[in-house]
Amino acid sequence: MSNTFVDAYPKQARIIRQAFLTSFIALAIGAFFGLIQALHRTNILRAIESPTYYTVLTGHGVFLVITFTIFFLVGVYQWAVTESLERGPVDMRFTWGWYGLMLTGTMLAAFAILAGFTDAIDVSADVLFTFYAPLQGHPIFYIGLVVFVVGTWLAGADWFRTWLAWKGENPGKRIPLPTFMVLTTMIMWYISSIGVAVAILAFILPWSIGIVESINPTLTRTLFWYFGHPVVYFWLLPAYLMWYILLPKLSGGRLFSDPLARVVFILFILLSTPVGIHHQYLDPGIAEGFKYIAMTNTMFLLLPSLLTAFTVVASMEHGARQRGGKGYFGWLKALPWREPAFTGMALAGMVFAFGGFTGIVNAGMNINYLVHNSLWVPGHIHTQVGTAVALTFMAGSYWLIPQLTGNRLVGRGIALFQVVLWFVGIVIMTNAMYRGGLIGMPRRTAEPEYEGFNYEVAAGSVGELNAQVALGGTLLFVSTMIFLALMILTLFNGESEPIDNRTIPAPLSGPEDSPPVLDNLKLWVAIAAVLVVLAYVIPLASIVSRGGLFGPDIGPFPVFVEPVSLLIETVLVSIGW
Amino acid sequence: MKIHTYEKLWLVASLVLIVGFIATITYGSVALGITMVGDEEPTIEPDEISDDERFGEPRVEQVGENEYEAYVIAQTFIFQPETIEVPADSEVTFYVTSRDVIHSFSVVGTNTNTMVIPGEISTLTVEFDEPDEYGIVCNEYCGDFHHTMEGQLHVVPEDEFDMTELAVEADDEVEIDDDATFEVAVENRQLEALETTVALEIGDETLEEDVTVDSQMTEETTFTVDSADLGEGDHDWTVTVDDYEESGTLTVAEDLEDEDGNEDGDEGDGGDDGDNETDEEGDTDE
Repeated sequence: MSNTFVDAYPKQARIIRQAFLTSFIALAIGAFFGLIQALHRTNILRAIESPTYYTVLTGHGVFLVITFTIFFLVGVYQWAVTESLERGPVDMRFTWGWYGLMLTGTMLAAFAILAGFTDAIDVSADVLFTFYAPLQGHPIFYIGLVVFVVGTWLAGADWFRTWLAWKGENPGKRIPLPTFMVLTTMIMWYISSIGVAVAILAFILPWSIGIVESINPTLTRTLFWYFGHPVVYFWLLPAYLMWYILLPKLSGGRLFSDPLARVVFILFILLSTPVGIHHQYLDPGIAEGFKYIAMTNTMFLLLPSLLTAFTVVASMEHGARQRGGKGYFGWLKALPWREPAFTGMALAGMVFAFGGFTGIVNAGMNINYLVHNSLWVPGHIHTQVGTAVALTFMAGSYWLIPQLTGNRLVGRGIALFQVVLWFVGIVIMTNAMYRGGLIGMPRRTAEPEYEGFNYEVAAGSVGELNAQVALGGTLLFVSTMIFLALMILTLFNGESEPIDNRTIPAPLSGPEDSPPVLDNLKLWVAIAAVLVVLAYVIPLASIVSRGGLFGPDIGPFPVFVEPVSLLIETVLVSIGW
Repeated sequence: MKIHTYEKLWLVASLVLIVGFIATITYGSVALGITMVGDEEPTIEPDEISDDERFGEPRVEQVGENEYEAYVIAQTFIFQPETIEVPADSEVTFYVTSRDVIHSFSVVGTNTNTMVIPGEISTLTVEFDEPDEYGIVCNEYCGDFHHTMEGQLHVVPEDEFDMTELAVEADDEVEIDDDATFEVAVENRQLEALETTVALEIGDETLEEDVTVDSQMTEETTFTVDSADLGEGDHDWTVTVDDYEESGTLTVAEDLEDEDGNEDGDEGDGGDDGDNETDEEGDTDE
């Protein structure tokens, strides 16, 4: 008799499956767009015109880093809360409500983006994931984003409500670790997503509709990055949750330290937001001092990740020794390398460590000038959200989907091949991206080779870099398709044996080893608010006093009105481009 | 709170690493002087760029012995000026602004890299030691032809660099026995006075005149050639000042009135008979 999550919580399992389904559809589209880009910008296969590249790129960004990651997050978090509090939400209708809002928002934004492929509808939003004004997308795009974000806010409210109900039934108990992680993540999300909400609701949306004429691009950009850095932790923290909760169990042991895990998540509440200006080291209109403060805060943000590296590796070692591993490094051989969920997460962790160091390069403000907006940056993004997060999600799915469906995973051996293939693909693609960035090749461009100059490549050649990007991108696409095929086959698999036991073993050092103050969420919110105020009030005030709330008369540059781009084309042709 | 000994060691090591990173970066900015783009410049409305003293005419200006300023506009999908030329062993401050959306001004393969935001002026001071040629790209997505936005930065050897402009106004046609005039204007936009020779070659004749052009001034030289010495027919001419060259053709005719009813002896000033007016920018075209 199996004891799966779906047996215990069938209603909750249903909504989690639904969230994962949405997430995987976005993954499929986003991965396909990624393939088109990898082949287009390397000039290997050009199925689209270069201007269309930016429609594809917008879709790739939004579908993968917003839809895929965040729908997966709400699925995993619903699972974590339900499992660790041993109860469902207070009202499942509310739960379906936030899911419905998130889905509606996604559909609206997706419509605005995808309509960019056809001239039949006068709607498009080729503004990329960062939608920097004065580039202007169709209002539907911004409305979609807002509805989506409100959906995630309500999801957080739902988990807080569930926790409060649990607290009433279990007075005096420590918050179970998985729920603690969920609540702290959501606090971070509330604090940070205010930035993007204000940017859209107060400035960009009224301006895109035409209620206000002008915009302050530095202000909306700064508000975006106020949200834009924490959002990377919003992608990452569900992966952290799985590394802390699932990976030790998969290794055959238990989590090394519950208290340190709590400290790590608190550090993310405190430090995720007051760092966003490190994305703006190159922006005029922001004083160097504010950039320096953002740099120091960013460096301290390394701490929770370094602590995580310790705890996760220590937990793995503990598990390996339980399985009979011996020696200083010999224990590595005793880990369950044939288990795709384990191997996928372990490889993701390795790539994350490497990507973390490239992130330090980005954070170092003076070195940043060499790599800012070069291909180095998507190299970094693809090692972090594209592997640390995406590969962990895929690996985690190999364990979670059987729990949520009651169906045995189909093709364990193929799944193992899939995660290794992802690892190989990402190593090939990102190493070429990092190197391309160092020679100055820009990111976000349909054609990175120019007429007026050639890149000076110290070793290798531009052709070789392109070949690696295209090959790596193709392997990643194939890997994604294998993953999705296995998910579909598992969903329709009639067999239910064997499925891993769902119990999570208690940590070696439990919550009783930590002071209860760690669970005082109000305290952490207050400290985080102070840090945010310190880091942002003066820069924002300075930006507003320089350019005004609505900017020094800066009109829109719509990328959704077709005639405008036609006009530009005509002008370009006439001046001989 | 119970923390394992190894965990404590790791924590301390992590903090040391972090403080170390911050220290090296601080050293880079304070001791090595690697500064960032800041907020020194006041804002500018994109509509007022054309009337601005600096951006009205995007260009390079000399402001000190080895100091230059470059005023650059980024707009969809070009940089103005498209080619920036500066001498080696100089210090150049770039002032860059945008006419429309967010762009970047990025000198490929270097850390000369800044966002260009409409309403703001980015300033970057760069030292160029060696002659070289660089590409300039916009590395921030700015619209559907973003990938075509590029420029050039030429750092030329000091002795090949000047900011001279040569303009020649010459007659197209003269009646035989009349004088043909060549008005040569030499502009010097450098801070040092320019001592050079203006030479006119026409037929077998070479006329030369030494000129001294003071800083920010234009010196005019007029050459007069007796067309009788040239004889009837077409005569190619060339005016040379250092590396700059202008050329054209002078037609000497028996009787101009018969051909196109023009007044004889027309000096060509403001004339509508196709004066050979040329104007070459300070860019060398090697």
